[in-house]
Amino acid sequence: MQESMDAIVMQDVVKSFRKRTIRGEYTTFKSELLRWLRGQRQPREGGLITALRGINLNIPKGKTVGIIGRNGSGKSTLLKLITGIYTPTSGHLQINGRISALLDLGAGFHPDFSGRENILINGIILGMSRAEVRARMDEIIAFSELGEFIDEPVRTYSSGMYMRLAFAVATHVDPDILIIDEILAVGDEHFSKKSLAKMMDFKKQGKTIVLVTHDLNTVDKWCDLAAWIDGGYVRRVGRSADVTAEYRQAIALAESQSVAFTPPALTEGGGALPQVPGSPSAPPSTAPVRLTGLSLVAPSGEVEPFSPETAVEAHVDFAADERCEDVEFEVSLQTADGKPLYETSTRLEEVPLPRQLPPEGRVRFVLERLGLLAGSYSLVVTARSTGGVSMERRAFQVSSPEAERGVFRPAHRWVVEPAPVAQQVVPALAGDTVPRAAGGGHP
Amino acid sequence: MIRLIRELYQYRGLLLSLVQRELKARYRGSILGFLWTFLNPALHMLVYVLLFTVVMRQNTPYYSFFMFVGLLPWIWFSSSISGGASAISDRRDLMTKVRFPAQVLPTTVVVTNLCNYVLSLPLMLALGILMYGQWPTWHALFFPVVVVIQLTFTLALTYILAAINVTFRDLQHIVGNLLTMWFFGTPVLYPLSNFQDETVRTAMTVLNPMTPLITSYQAIFYEHRLPDAGPLLGLGVFSVMLLWAASMIFEARREEFAESI
Repeated sequence: MQESMDAIVMQDVVKSFRKRTIRGEYTTFKSELLRWLRGQRQPREGGLITALRGINLNIPKGKTVGIIGRNGSGKSTLLKLITGIYTPTSGHLQINGRISALLDLGAGFHPDFSGRENILINGIILGMSRAEVRARMDEIIAFSELGEFIDEPVRTYSSGMYMRLAFAVATHVDPDILIIDEILAVGDEHFSKKSLAKMMDFKKQGKTIVLVTHDLNTVDKWCDLAAWIDGGYVRRVGRSADVTAEYRQAIALAESQSVAFTPPALTEGGGALPQVPGSPSAPPSTAPVRLTGLSLVAPSGEVEPFSPETAVEAHVDFAADERCEDVEFEVSLQTADGKPLYETSTRLEEVPLPRQLPPEGRVRFVLERLGLLAGSYSLVVTARSTGGVSMERRAFQVSSPEAERGVFRPAHRWVVEPAPVAQQVVPALAGDTVPRAAGGGHP
Repeated sequence: MIRLIRELYQYRGLLLSLVQRELKARYRGSILGFLWTFLNPALHMLVYVLLFTVVMRQNTPYYSFFMFVGLLPWIWFSSSISGGASAISDRRDLMTKVRFPAQVLPTTVVVTNLCNYVLSLPLMLALGILMYGQWPTWHALFFPVVVVIQLTFTLALTYILAAINVTFRDLQHIVGNLLTMWFFGTPVLYPLSNFQDETVRTAMTVLNPMTPLITSYQAIFYEHRLPDAGPLLGLGVFSVMLLWAASMIFEARREEFAESI
């Protein structure tokens, strides 16, 4: 039962590569040939690069999952393992369903052949049968919007036309699981919208999509879940907004600590990014006052995404030791990439707190009106006391039908009325500018 | 070995399309187009005919027909081997991006060249009929048997070379040179009966797997007799064993193809 719920199950998947140096270790041709013919892998520790150190990840059926992480963190290796191009060095990997991978657009395109001929060969390479490709040929040609060019050789195509044709074929393979590596931004504005619509179609049909991308906004917008690969492990899996928020913070933190961005697989410990305090992936806090939960509730019963005019309460659950002194709760409202928009604390506002906090309790931070524009935000609550700090983070979305620009929406209204009689235009300025404008070019 | 063949069968659509494309691509853009299928071996033959009938006199009757019968299957064999050796290592674009059994690629090369061979057969027969009045006899019924044995042998050798070439790239250059030597050690340009010594003939037949094949084609089309069963059968068994060995190597190494390329 459990197995049929997940499209992809990965348990302790490890993948290492033999390091290939130009002047490899001393081996005779004979020994190399013998070893090779037997297909032995010599696990010489020094010559191994471990890209994935133990991936545990379940991808549920029908979900769109974004995989994020730094360059070289092992995302593409993970995709190649899922598609079966690579086999794991150790660990267990199970795929339930027909898979189609868009790792590279236009695999096997031949420049001298027409678009139509290339559709056939590319479709078959991607796993369709000849009959399937023939049946979908017109649909693919229509989607690619190539018109009469479909019968011209592919080498005469512009790069945009080439990509459109390739993408059209790739999306007409009818898989259960679709694997996409960073290729959604194909063609012009119009075509990328169409591509996204096609992706949405896949989603609606209940297909599983695994997407590797560096575009965090895409992940926020389209993915149900996100998995963050860092240092060869899954750093965090969860709601995409939460994961991307923590990822953004970790990057910002690494930049501020001037962490050297070395190739992760070559670095001791996998080159993981620094821990973001307060994130669920950080070790449990031992502070006297610990935050145990943070939720956003609209008293009106509205659920996320909130509208800008909603009243919202942040419910902060905490647990406190008997002796805790100098307690302070701090609230920070931030953009998705961790830029603070508003920060306040019980100390700044001189909020009276009981001398002795109850062992378990709740702080309610009541916002009469959210006042934020559409977008992704996160709320970070910190409890400080002598002896430690505890932090909780919650990402949330605001949506609005109006297309205002900026960050916040002050309470406002518009009034149009005739100018008051008392004020008159000062003539001196006007008199000065008019001759200049008239005499322009004729001194 | 069963898995190797089963996967080939599963991916026959891909194989078919790739072969089709290779055949079309080979002559696309050239003015004479498909005619090159005939012109290439014909010009090839003309060089040898000039060399061996004018410069170095041979007393073989119908010499150009005799040579053509052996040269065409040799071209099939040698272009398969030289092209197939780099079949996997040249297609990094496919191997690292799409999942499919690697043996499809060398098989495509061998099958494409087989098609070229079969397509040039009418030229060979026409040459025999028009120039020398050599009509094919009922012995031609055994022709497919010889072709199947050569196909098995060529496939096995190509698989092994293609697999080794993934990690040992020097091979594709070595193969080209070895083929030239192999060609002159095979009775294509001269009849095997030119050697008076019985032991030389036996040695050439046993040590060179191409000898029984070429002499069989010559027996069928040129001498109008049945090919010698013994060497042919022996080669058939040897080819199956070689194919089995090739599939073992593929089995052991298939995981590393995508990574090593």
